[in-house]
Amino acid sequence: MNPPAKQFVLMLEGVNKTFDGFKAITDLNFYMDEGELRTIIGPNGAGKSTMMDIITGRTKPDTGKVEFGINTDLTSMNVPEINRLGIGRKFQTPSVYIHHTVFENLLLSLKGPRGVFNSLFARTTSEQRDRIEAVLKTIGLAAKADDLAGLLSHGQKQWLEIGMLLAQQPKLLLVDEPAAGMSDEETHKTGELLLSLEGKHSIIVIEHDMTFVRQIARKVTVLHQGHVLCEGTVDDVQNDERVKEVYLGRKKKN
Amino acid sequence: MQRKSSNLEIWVVLAVALFVIIVFPSLNAFTADGSWLHVSNFTITLYGKYLCYAMLAISVDLLWGYTGLLSLGQALFFSLGGYMMGMYLMRMIGDLGQYHQPIPDFLVFLGWSTLPTFWKPFASFPFALLTAVLLPGVLSGIFGYLAFRSRIRGVYFAILTQALTYAACLLFFRNSLLLGGNNGFTDFKFILGYDIREASTKRGLFIATGIALLLVYLLCKWLTKTKFGKVQRAIRDSENRVMFSGYSTANFKLFIFVLASLIASLAGVLYVPQVGIINPSEMSPDKSLEAVVWVSVGGRGTLIGPIIGAFAVNGMKSWATRSYPDMWLLLLGTMFILVTVFMPKGIVGLPAQLQGVYQKFTAKKMKAEPVSVTPDAAVQPVKPE
Amino acid sequence: MDQKRGLCVHSVSVQTRRGEQGRGPKTSAPFYKEPILKFLSILLCGILSVLAAQAQDESAVREKLAHAVLSGSADQPKLVGELADTGSKIVHDVLIAWTRDGVFIFETNNVRIPVLLEEQTDANGNARAIRIDDGKFLVDDQKKELHFAATDLNALDTDARLRTVIQQTLDSLALSDPDPDARENAILKLGNSHKLNNISVLQARLAKEKNPAVVRAINEAIAMLQLGDADPQVQITAAQQLAALKSIGSLDMLKALAENKSSPPAVVQAAKIATSRINEHVVAVNFFGTIFRGLSLGSILLIVTLGLAITFGLMGIINMAHGEMIAIGAYTTYVVQNLFGSGFAFSINLPFHFFGHPVGFGLSLPGMNATGWWYESYFLFALPLSFLMAALAGLALERSVIRFLYRRPLESLLATWGVSLVMQQLFRMVFGANNVQVSSPSWLLGHFTLNDVSMGYNRVFVIVFAVLIVIGTWMLLTKTPLGLLIRAVMQNRDMASCMGVRTARVNMMTFAFGSGLAGLAGAFLSQIGNVGPSLGQSYIVDSFMTVVVGGVGSIVGTVYAAVGIGTSDQVLQQVTGSPVTGKIVVLVCIILFLQWKPGGLFSIRSRSLD
Repeated sequence: MNPPAKQFVLMLEGVNKTFDGFKAITDLNFYMDEGELRTIIGPNGAGKSTMMDIITGRTKPDTGKVEFGINTDLTSMNVPEINRLGIGRKFQTPSVYIHHTVFENLLLSLKGPRGVFNSLFARTTSEQRDRIEAVLKTIGLAAKADDLAGLLSHGQKQWLEIGMLLAQQPKLLLVDEPAAGMSDEETHKTGELLLSLEGKHSIIVIEHDMTFVRQIARKVTVLHQGHVLCEGTVDDVQNDERVKEVYLGRKKKN
Repeated sequence: MQRKSSNLEIWVVLAVALFVIIVFPSLNAFTADGSWLHVSNFTITLYGKYLCYAMLAISVDLLWGYTGLLSLGQALFFSLGGYMMGMYLMRMIGDLGQYHQPIPDFLVFLGWSTLPTFWKPFASFPFALLTAVLLPGVLSGIFGYLAFRSRIRGVYFAILTQALTYAACLLFFRNSLLLGGNNGFTDFKFILGYDIREASTKRGLFIATGIALLLVYLLCKWLTKTKFGKVQRAIRDSENRVMFSGYSTANFKLFIFVLASLIASLAGVLYVPQVGIINPSEMSPDKSLEAVVWVSVGGRGTLIGPIIGAFAVNGMKSWATRSYPDMWLLLLGTMFILVTVFMPKGIVGLPAQLQGVYQKFTAKKMKAEPVSVTPDAAVQPVKPE
Repeated sequence: MDQKRGLCVHSVSVQTRRGEQGRGPKTSAPFYKEPILKFLSILLCGILSVLAAQAQDESAVREKLAHAVLSGSADQPKLVGELADTGSKIVHDVLIAWTRDGVFIFETNNVRIPVLLEEQTDANGNARAIRIDDGKFLVDDQKKELHFAATDLNALDTDARLRTVIQQTLDSLALSDPDPDARENAILKLGNSHKLNNISVLQARLAKEKNPAVVRAINEAIAMLQLGDADPQVQITAAQQLAALKSIGSLDMLKALAENKSSPPAVVQAAKIATSRINEHVVAVNFFGTIFRGLSLGSILLIVTLGLAITFGLMGIINMAHGEMIAIGAYTTYVVQNLFGSGFAFSINLPFHFFGHPVGFGLSLPGMNATGWWYESYFLFALPLSFLMAALAGLALERSVIRFLYRRPLESLLATWGVSLVMQQLFRMVFGANNVQVSSPSWLLGHFTLNDVSMGYNRVFVIVFAVLIVIGTWMLLTKTPLGLLIRAVMQNRDMASCMGVRTARVNMMTFAFGSGLAGLAGAFLSQIGNVGPSLGQSYIVDSFMTVVVGGVGSIVGTVYAAVGIGTSDQVLQQVTGSPVTGKIVVLVCIILFLQWKPGGLFSIRSRSLD
């Protein structure tokens, strides 16, 4: 991994994070291009979620640089601030506001001012409605706009959450196991949804399901024990000896 | 949730409020003692007290039911408001106290001959009101800022607010605070120049409390309908999602916490002249929990619920403490256990709950028919990598 | 605060107990006036152990005593002086009576019998006579007890010289008391006497004394007396000696010496140095005393909190009725004590009528009326029983209420508060609204002194027991199959259930165990404070804070937090001079501490989001 010459949308350099002696992330270097769709795989405990936490400000790294776009240091910012920069994150388990309607869920997510006093006197404009309608179409929930989000199926909740991210119009999307708990059909639709976003947003997808990974993957990064093991196409990665070793544990070195 | 029913609620509340604010005091003033229509002075004061409790309950519900923050510190803010009002009322006694000194009796008792400096401005009613806003506001602001900044929530928030209240309670029990020690303030004589024991003054206070409650209700109703209200409930349901949507939830929680403390303080301000006493036991941890009971019994997450709950529980308390003094705590405790376990939505949610039970019951009867399994219910197993 | 009050009560009860012990054996010679009686009871505390030794050589001592009393005036001082080594109480009693003209000679058939008159008099104002030589009542030929008035008999005379000898003998008699504590007290008294001639008495004893604590006391007393010496050099040496001994008792004397304008400058200087050295020691003693009290307070907090650390920390249940579990333990101790005593009964009348009959229920248990060590041992039975009763109550609570609320922690707080109200009211109905008395067994009373720091046995006992309980809990959680199941269920209830763990049962057991620990804490609290219906309330806020500070789910954290909070509470009480201010400062500190470490001292990091 050579030091980059051009400007990246996201850059992690020399990042370390330890929890009570457990090294979750060790000397992690990660670079991502504008508009790229990147898939991250790795066995349990490889540090995928911790990496997401560090990017979104939920966890502060012990050492290292985390930069977004042109020299925006993320390590000194908190979660809402980082989100407002244009980094959206979808969690593994769907987290939507179950007592709000689908429409309201999206309304709360629309890009716009986030202040307390603004929210007191905010009015829903027709422009906002249009944007919500557009997102509803993208995620296929137009018919459910006035239903309570808590009544949606698991898959629909996942899509709603993706829709909420889209409403934020983020530059970078972090998507954690979007296909978990979905039927094959739903998984496929989710894959198509993500592919349709490629180019408009930069996207990082964490996934375990290799069928799904094959469907969406352009460039795959394999994480192992908190650092990048290898990067490349799906085939490259699957044929890599080190990756096989990590996943299947064939040759034990130590 | 449904807009129509919520509009209906407002109309019902307005109608009831009109009745309470106009008809009730009129019955007290214009009917003869002994007439079946007559409302006694005692009843006026009692119901005035309930109105204050309803306001306190709304402040609890604003935090607990709408934001998911269980605050056990509302009794503290209630008492702070009460104490500020109490200080004004103590000054209004003038030299009519037991010792016939120009300073409150307990200060004479403690060996003071002149008024301590911080007591002096409390002869002014506006000043007392100002402190009743500032003191709880600043305290809740500082505490809330610290608590929400370090992301203390859920049961931790409950425990910490309880500890705060407990600490304040211990503090107010001290004589050296010069706020009356464990006897607090009592024997008030005048408010704004009116004799506090006069029936007309009592009526006036009752009407003022009724209007205040109505205004608080309407304010909260408006608040919950704004985008702020939506964010507030979103925080309750999934705070992380809200944070990861770019909202600084700490600010939203701080705002609502301060607002709730001010509502509680207002309730305390109106409570003290009607009840005629304020002492540190009003801020014991149990009092906060009692207010939570009212909300829970009435139905949290609604604005009408806390009002119903405050009236229902306190009405029952008044009756039970007179008829079965030994049994009251058993009754309250048992009721609370049952409501918490079996009626999480309280009285307001009872019809829906009963409807659900009825539907289950009829569904069982029709068991013979095959029930179609919804495709959503079947969760796919997680595939291996 | 309750605790504090309780502790004061306790120290008072130590005094009275001591008094009783001192008074007990005195029945054989009950004729002194009240002041002497008081003096005796202080001087002769711990006399029980003395009694056995006394029985053996009592007759020999009595013979010697009678001989000395009857002998001619020439060798009488010598004979009396020889009695000094006996350490006998009879000698003491008789000598004191002698100086008060209370020793009489009964003469019959040319036999002179020395007697004392009993304090109790009959209708005519006459009293029975006790023979000094054998301790029996004086009888006539028909074995009939004789009664006398004091004026009927000749009182034995004393002269000035004899009185001096008697006084010296009395002093050194106390110095040879078999009980080291009594010896120390006597020595201290001599040290404070300002009489230089007492030095020789003390030095005589020093030669014989083997007990190091008493030797130290003698040296201290000698040095204290030497402060009054005319020779400045002796005074300076004495001051230095006292400083070396860190004698707190001599502080006043040294101060007086330092301020005495007639003292030579060198002496004043030496006294000042000694004073400051001893003052430093006093500060240290106070400090360690505070630390010790803090530790014991922390230990109680620890036992209370450990139960909470399990129900709250591991299970996520906010049990507001935890305080009432403590009260159950304390009341169990109370009931057990009564069962060992005169029995226990209560009855409750419900405010209802059933076909005109009042409805109520009650219970009456007969007591065993045990006495002595058997009664004293009640606490050993109360400990396991209080654990058991609280555990059963916990079991019932878990089954009836809490199992519905495992996924609603905030509501568990509210429902258990309801339980707490109900239980408090039940306590009031069964045991009354007032505090009940639980008396401590005598083996928990008293204290020992380590380097001037006084340590109560009950506090030491609590500390030791807290350590045992922590170790036991830790072992249970980490080394037993049940512990494995508990940890599995607490970490992931669903997964454990999928793996075939009977989660309902594990929950039940865990909750019962946590509640049982609270019961144990209650048993200890009954020993150092008052037992009342709201006993638990005063601990509930503290103990929740302790769990939060320690880090929820961490036993180690709980231990640190409990000891830390307990100690700082005591220290701050000392520093701010008020228990309330101390408590408020602690609470504020805790709130600020959580800013710095929101997860507590030992936070368990969870990867899950909420």
